[in-house]
Amino acid sequence: MRSIFVYLISSILLCLSVSTAMAQKKKQIAIPADSTRWLNGFTVNVDVASLVTSTFINNGIYSSEAGIQLDLKHKFFPTIEVGVAGASKISNENINFKTNGLFERFGVDFNLRKKKPDSKPTNNLFTAGIRLGMSNFSYDVTNVTITDNYWGGSTIINYPTQNISKIWYEFVVGVQVEVINNFYLGWNLRIRNMISKDITGEVSPWYVPGFGKNVGSNYGFNYTLGYHFWPQKKIKKKTSVIIIQKKENQINK
Amino acid sequence: MKKYIFITLIFSIFLNISCVTDDTCIQTKYVKLTANFYVVNPNDSIIANRIKGFYVDSITVQGLKYDSITKLYQSVDSILYNNQKVNSINLPLNNNSTVTIFKLKFKNVVDTMRIYHSNINDYLSLECGCIITHAIDNVTTTNHYIDSARIKIYEVNTIDAENIRIYKDTSKIKINKVNTINAEHIRLFNK
Repeated sequence: MRSIFVYLISSILLCLSVSTAMAQKKKQIAIPADSTRWLNGFTVNVDVASLVTSTFINNGIYSSEAGIQLDLKHKFFPTIEVGVAGASKISNENINFKTNGLFERFGVDFNLRKKKPDSKPTNNLFTAGIRLGMSNFSYDVTNVTITDNYWGGSTIINYPTQNISKIWYEFVVGVQVEVINNFYLGWNLRIRNMISKDITGEVSPWYVPGFGKNVGSNYGFNYTLGYHFWPQKKIKKKTSVIIIQKKENQINK
Repeated sequence: MKKYIFITLIFSIFLNISCVTDDTCIQTKYVKLTANFYVVNPNDSIIANRIKGFYVDSITVQGLKYDSITKLYQSVDSILYNNQKVNSINLPLNNNSTVTIFKLKFKNVVDTMRIYHSNINDYLSLECGCIITHAIDNVTTTNHYIDSARIKIYEVNTIDAENIRIYKDTSKIKINKVNTINAEHIRLFNK
């Protein structure tokens, strides 16, 4: 219930912030989206969702991540994401699992917004993309108790400092809205699929940093705060003239 | 833009519903050795009928455990099969020993079966923990009711498999006087 409450609150905050952004956008002079420059700066994003869940939901899992997103022609967004994550878990069988590790993701987003000729130019994005994630981490599995119900006796086994590398891919869909000049809020939803499957007989990790619970397919949610460095200069006059001309044409019709 | 806000809200709620995880183990952890009974009739004119599975009228099975104080083998209190009519028995091997002994009582006739095995730790998951599987090295029996025993599948784990065949010779003619059948013997026999 607590997780639902936190997510609802964060969702409401997001809605409010997006609404505020919209209100502010109306006042702003439109920015042309059809940038001619190939490299249109880059955005540094910090994920707030992982920080909120790590702080307020006491399930033994923490995660923190940030990313850099290049803007190529405002159509392609090569992205690098790095982070640190960990988990401490005691199972129903009283087995302890503990891990800490770094993770990286590389990929590209594509802007799905089609620019209509009569629409206002905007920097807001509706993107879909792919990622390749990887993490090389160590973990401990301790206090594994095996009880022999018929012959009696029990054995405790520990598997300390297990090292493993995991690779996975992700499909990402998201939205980014420019709240004020160069400052973005956004969210994205991710479907993750593990490439490095568990090998029978190995002590497999319960949690993979950057991926989540180690099941074949997983999902993730990011709520990002970002700042766009080195954006293309706004062509205020030209755009304003175009908009005014269009309005005049509509009135004439 | 309103549709983006709507989608955000829907996804956030969906995420919360999906966050509920189940930490209970859904895998089977029951490791058992399966032994099937066969009757041997070498004089049958039909070759297919010379070795057939059969039901033992009454069998009682108990484990025998070495008592270091009395230095004797004692029956384990729990009885695995009690005067039952079966054609197959499932037996738990001792996780803390490499030899497991069972007492098989056929009405008034008692045989013992020794199973020599190695034990392997098999970690399943955090939810399920660890199980111990086995590899059978050798099987020996006494020959009061049973005539011989033979290893069929060496690996003993959670998968249903016929690990051992126990033979009863109805003609009372000893086919194999050596009641110890080890792994090497079986490999040669199979060739």
